[in-house]
Amino acid sequence: MTDQSTAPGQGTDGTAGEGFLSIRGLTKRYAGFTAVDNFDLEVPKGELVAFLGPSGCGKTTSLRMIAGLVPATAGRIVVGGQDLTTVETHRRDMGLVFQSYALFPHMSIARNVAFGLEMRKVPKDEIARRVKEAIALVHLTGKEEHKPAQLSGGQQQRVALARALVIRPSILLLDEPLSNLDAKLRDEMRNEIRDIQKSLGITAIFVTHDQGEALTMCDKVVVMNEGRLEQVGTPVDLYERPKTAFVASFVGRTNRLKAVAKDGTAEFAGQRVLAPAGLSGPVQVMIRPHRIALSPSTGGEGVTGTIARAIFSGDILQYDVDVGGQIVSVELATRGGETVLAPGTQVSLSWRPQDIFVYGAAA
Amino acid sequence: MNLSTKLTIAALLMSGVSTQVLAQQQTVTVMAYAGLFQERYTKAVVEPFMKANPGIKVEYFPMPNSAQMLGTLRAQKAAPQADVVIMDVSVSKAATDEKLFNKIDEKVSKNVADLYPNARIADVDGVAVTFDNLVMLYNGDTVKDAPKSWMDLAKPEYKGKVAIPGMPDIQGLSLVLIMDKARGGTDYLQNVDKGITALGEIAPNVQTWEPKPEVYPVIISGQAVIGAGWNARAQVNADTSGGKLKTVLPQEGSVFQINTINYVANGPGKDAGAKFIDYALSPEAQKAFTESMFYAPTNAKAQISEAAIARTAVKSMDKVIPVDWIALAKVRDPIMEQWRRKVIPLSR
Amino acid sequence: MSAATALAPALPPRRSRLRLIVALLAPIALINAIGFLAPVLNLARMSFYEVEPTGAMREVYTLATWAKMVTDSFYAELIVNSVSVSLGITLLTLVCSYPIALYLHRSTGTWKTILLVLVISPLLTSAVVRTYGWIAILSDSGLVNNALGALGLPPQRMMFNLTGVTIGLTEILMPYMILALLAGFGRLDPRIEEAASTLGAPPFTIFRRIILPLTLPGIALGCLLCFVLAVSSFITPKLLGGGRVFLLATEIYDQAIVTLNWPLASTLSILVLVIFGGALVLYTRALRAIL
Repeated sequence: MTDQSTAPGQGTDGTAGEGFLSIRGLTKRYAGFTAVDNFDLEVPKGELVAFLGPSGCGKTTSLRMIAGLVPATAGRIVVGGQDLTTVETHRRDMGLVFQSYALFPHMSIARNVAFGLEMRKVPKDEIARRVKEAIALVHLTGKEEHKPAQLSGGQQQRVALARALVIRPSILLLDEPLSNLDAKLRDEMRNEIRDIQKSLGITAIFVTHDQGEALTMCDKVVVMNEGRLEQVGTPVDLYERPKTAFVASFVGRTNRLKAVAKDGTAEFAGQRVLAPAGLSGPVQVMIRPHRIALSPSTGGEGVTGTIARAIFSGDILQYDVDVGGQIVSVELATRGGETVLAPGTQVSLSWRPQDIFVYGAAA
Repeated sequence: MNLSTKLTIAALLMSGVSTQVLAQQQTVTVMAYAGLFQERYTKAVVEPFMKANPGIKVEYFPMPNSAQMLGTLRAQKAAPQADVVIMDVSVSKAATDEKLFNKIDEKVSKNVADLYPNARIADVDGVAVTFDNLVMLYNGDTVKDAPKSWMDLAKPEYKGKVAIPGMPDIQGLSLVLIMDKARGGTDYLQNVDKGITALGEIAPNVQTWEPKPEVYPVIISGQAVIGAGWNARAQVNADTSGGKLKTVLPQEGSVFQINTINYVANGPGKDAGAKFIDYALSPEAQKAFTESMFYAPTNAKAQISEAAIARTAVKSMDKVIPVDWIALAKVRDPIMEQWRRKVIPLSR
Repeated sequence: MSAATALAPALPPRRSRLRLIVALLAPIALINAIGFLAPVLNLARMSFYEVEPTGAMREVYTLATWAKMVTDSFYAELIVNSVSVSLGITLLTLVCSYPIALYLHRSTGTWKTILLVLVISPLLTSAVVRTYGWIAILSDSGLVNNALGALGLPPQRMMFNLTGVTIGLTEILMPYMILALLAGFGRLDPRIEEAASTLGAPPFTIFRRIILPLTLPGIALGCLLCFVLAVSSFITPKLLGGGRVFLLATEIYDQAIVTLNWPLASTLSILVLVIFGGALVLYTRALRAIL
């Protein structure tokens, strides 16, 4: 499979600077710290892109800068060829769905949804028609005259979505819209949002701290950490070919081992693995628990270790193996009928070369 | 006798003496005006009275105005706390009608016989204890030549600089009466049109019809430079202002304001109240108070110093227009209406 | 019985709940009765007494005073004047206070505390002192006119008339209005304003369609409070009106203290209470319509 992850400055489809949404060098500095540092991104039309990262990584700040709610310290925001960096929020033609829904409490659902159309001076009968459509799209027909306080959280979120979509914005921005909902509702809404976005073909940015959400919903994922862009790519890219230690550990589970690199190889537990050229000294070696094969030791080649712990949790049989002083977790899918190896057993571990990642040591 | 016995006897004697004194101690509660009046009256009348009557203590109960005194008397009707009240004559009439007072006559105080005729008012249980009169006030620094007529208030150079306490205050009413007579009015109880017209001529010059807190400091400070006020206060303020405030009795004359002294029925001090009233009306007390605060005396036998007399209206009795305040009270409302309809609109 | 009611704490039976309510309300009802109801009823009774021109009151009942008040056009003028002046002052106070309250609401931290202290501190000074302050500022020889004179502009008559009363009373009432508005700003949420902005609303439209409607309860409360305070204010009109401003409150004072017509003063006082009652009814209706 071709590597679709990209370096900064290039579009997610590989082309340079031709995205429908083009973000170049976007920076936000507050007194004392930098929230977003030199963020570059190209988003083609119709794509659903996730901004993924832990709290404080700058994903929401970036989103709010795109919306215009936060002025950028530096950088440019270009939509459809038009530079919007200095344009005020109310002229940017974007729809924003807030985590707290931000519905107008003194207006009915219908008037909430109609608001954006009224601002655009759409004729009254057309407003009525489009509002009806939008409310139907989110399955809330019949609740037009209710006030927001009378609806459940999930229903309010759907109204927020309808309100943002009815104006047919050039870009749809979603700021952790599902974080306030319970798990079951979240799954439902995930699919709904995804379906609506695809059917309307609208370019959308989805901010979340939940990597599961990002991976299952979005075409591309932008992983951010401490204001910087770590990697942009499809969910598969990010999972199979993480470019940094942060991405490797944030997306999916992984073992993190210490080793020493020299002249293109890193050594740990007697095993030599390829290390990226130029790395020397202490390094981190990462390998996913379920990408390791385990068998009782035959004393041959390969990494050997002693089982420290065996944990049976129904779906998974997990072995914590002591390898040269470090613990490597191995996960095996249970098949029924296997013998659980006892702690103390010598075992051999093996893996494919493409499943092991070596990065510079953590600061 | 040892020390302790001596001390015991001494203690017994002293307690005996003090209970004797307590048995004779009476208290008179006098309700009268607060402020300057209280200060001067206490010094001139109350303290000498207490000195002359060691068995009687005087409690001065200050009140801001006669109306509140009436309110207090009404509230205390079942159990009066005051013995003597000094208040304006019209309020005294109201209290008399409500049967709050005992009548003051020669039986209460022999000095009553020596009072001026106009100090005894029909249908009022109290008698006059002071006379005051309206005077014209001006700021000596700004107004160089002493004004001669009340209508000087209408002179163009005083535009926006005149301060007169207007109706319903008695001072405004007094000015209406004075000018009404000066312009040929004959019966103020029938109509005061000429007086109203005169005030209408003064109205455009008036800065305020309610100088606060009083008209005297307003003129002393120069905020206003000419106006009208009561003589007694004016004289005292003239002294304390170092000559900034000057007074004059204009050619059209003046009217008397009467403060009466009244004997509250069923007061707690019993006959001590009568004793105080007797003293207050005596030539001695009248002299002391007049010389202190320049109210005209009501006792004809009071021997006032020449200097003090010159500063009251006593020597200019011919210029004082007699006013029946009690009868006037009945037509006060229509006059007030004319004031509102004809004088106020002309004033800014 | 559903699971919810099965788990709810058991309430005492209705009768003893009623007794509990009565017991809890009794103290304040008693204080209210002694301190408020009794004097007001006394006032109402006094409005029916006979009175002589001298002020002497008789405990004999008559409708004369009420008849006079109803038929004399002066009192009709007085009522109209008082209500309209008070409404005008309330509106002026609202317009001056709203921006300040909004700014205060949006401030944070130490700055907000400082501003709040500045807003409330005038309330620590007596209204009389503040009124005298206005005389010093607005009178013919006061600060403003001195400044105008220095600039070569003609002097303005702003004191001892309705203008002086309006300005002085507005400033005195502003802290009350600001506090009432702040209390009503709870419904405001910066996220809602952001949402409106992203939907295409320019700042003034956000104010008109979002902020203003959401703050209406606070506005209603502030207006009620200031209207009532303005109608009952007599110190400021007396000090700043120069004897030219005739309002219900000043008339009540004059009738009680100078003219000594207590029945008439009582009648007018009851009238003021009726006006308050009317304002309260309007307020309740308005609140129901808003919320």
